[in-house]
Amino acid sequence: MGHVSEHLLAGYVAGGVLPGDQEWAVEGHLEKCGQCRARLAGAAGPSVTDLVGGVWAGLEPHLAAPPQPRPRRTVAWLRGWATPVMVPWLLMVIAVGALAVLLDQIYDGSRPSFVLLLSPVLPVFGVAASWTRGLDPSYELTAATPRAGLELVLRRTTAVLTPVLAVLLAAGWLTGAWIGFGLLPSLAFATGTLALGTFVGIAWAASILIGLWLGALVVPTVSFGGSVLLAPATWPGWLAAVAVFAGFIVFRRDTFTRLAAQH
Amino acid sequence: MGVLPGVKSPREPDEERLLRRAARGDRAAFEELYRRTAPWLAVRLRRRCADDQIVAEVMQETYLAVWRAAGSFAGGVAGGSAVGWVWTIAVRRLVDAFRRRAHHAQPPAEMRVPLSAPAAEEEALAGTLGDSVGDALRTLAPELRQVLQAMVLDGLSVRETAILLGLPEGTVKTRARRARIAMREALS
Repeated sequence: MGHVSEHLLAGYVAGGVLPGDQEWAVEGHLEKCGQCRARLAGAAGPSVTDLVGGVWAGLEPHLAAPPQPRPRRTVAWLRGWATPVMVPWLLMVIAVGALAVLLDQIYDGSRPSFVLLLSPVLPVFGVAASWTRGLDPSYELTAATPRAGLELVLRRTTAVLTPVLAVLLAAGWLTGAWIGFGLLPSLAFATGTLALGTFVGIAWAASILIGLWLGALVVPTVSFGGSVLLAPATWPGWLAAVAVFAGFIVFRRDTFTRLAAQH
Repeated sequence: MGVLPGVKSPREPDEERLLRRAARGDRAAFEELYRRTAPWLAVRLRRRCADDQIVAEVMQETYLAVWRAAGSFAGGVAGGSAVGWVWTIAVRRLVDAFRRRAHHAQPPAEMRVPLSAPAAEEEALAGTLGDSVGDALRTLAPELRQVLQAMVLDGLSVRETAILLGLPEGTVKTRARRARIAMREALS
């Protein structure tokens, strides 16, 4: 084991033919050994020195601009899950959740729970914001990437659902008993948006489901003081809906790649 | 490939540290990095390209990329070699330069002045590779070794190797396969 010999180094610098194994060894060694690189610089003739000097002269004016900042890992990771467009919607969803809790605290027990009433529709807004042409200026760019399709839709939906469900859980915990049940309608509406989205596009699916929510849950609650659909006994129905919608999404997952080009 | 024991004096910052300092906008560190690596890079590139103008262009592009993207190295894999990183950039820029000039491509400066065979005592370095590997490489036909060198030592793809050596891709694939078979036989 040693460093590159003078003779070999001179031959390498001159650009002459070296026996194969030696050329290989010299290149491998020079990449690792700073000393031999320094010796090479000393052994190099004026042509190399001129070249190196000339390149530096050409390089210097460009060095005024500072290097690019180091890429942030967490930011890069987040971009795989969410778009900046989703931020205002998420904030809105969280604010609405917080307001519902506040209202529930004020009208304690005298009317149906606002949290329970609003919980199905909150994630729908988020899901719509994550995959809609009208809301996302970079929609076409995203849709044209190889990552577009069900996986990206699911990633973004997860990115929406996680904070929303956290808010709902916290709200449920603050207002009382029905934590487990409160999540089911919101899950069903979120998966329902995606499932219906495979037919008509996410934006339309979200509008239709919001309409359904108004007709089937809000109107009865306001006029009759409660909707049968939101009674805790209905949980098997909601669970079945989640399962059916999820099955639909998986079954029609190819639609998302084609859908991405249309909606 | 054997790694030599580190004999650097502890006061001298190594290339990785210089690169990390350059990433924070330290001009002096970058200049030092350039002073240390540019002659080596110039020589290594000139062994692959006879045209000094292309070499100068490639070096300028490479160091500009190193300066601008130093942060992505500093933020990259820990324990990576800065010099190896510089070479990876340079060899790809060289391939790009060849690709741009495809219509008047010239073969790299292989086989210019043949060097007199080195004396036996100067072959001490062959130990770096291990005797059997060294023997196998020495007996390999030059055109096969060239392909192997571009693909293994320079880390290029088949397509890049084809551009660098001015060969059709099919030839590169055939030669790589022949080189692999020859190496396997020589090593068994």
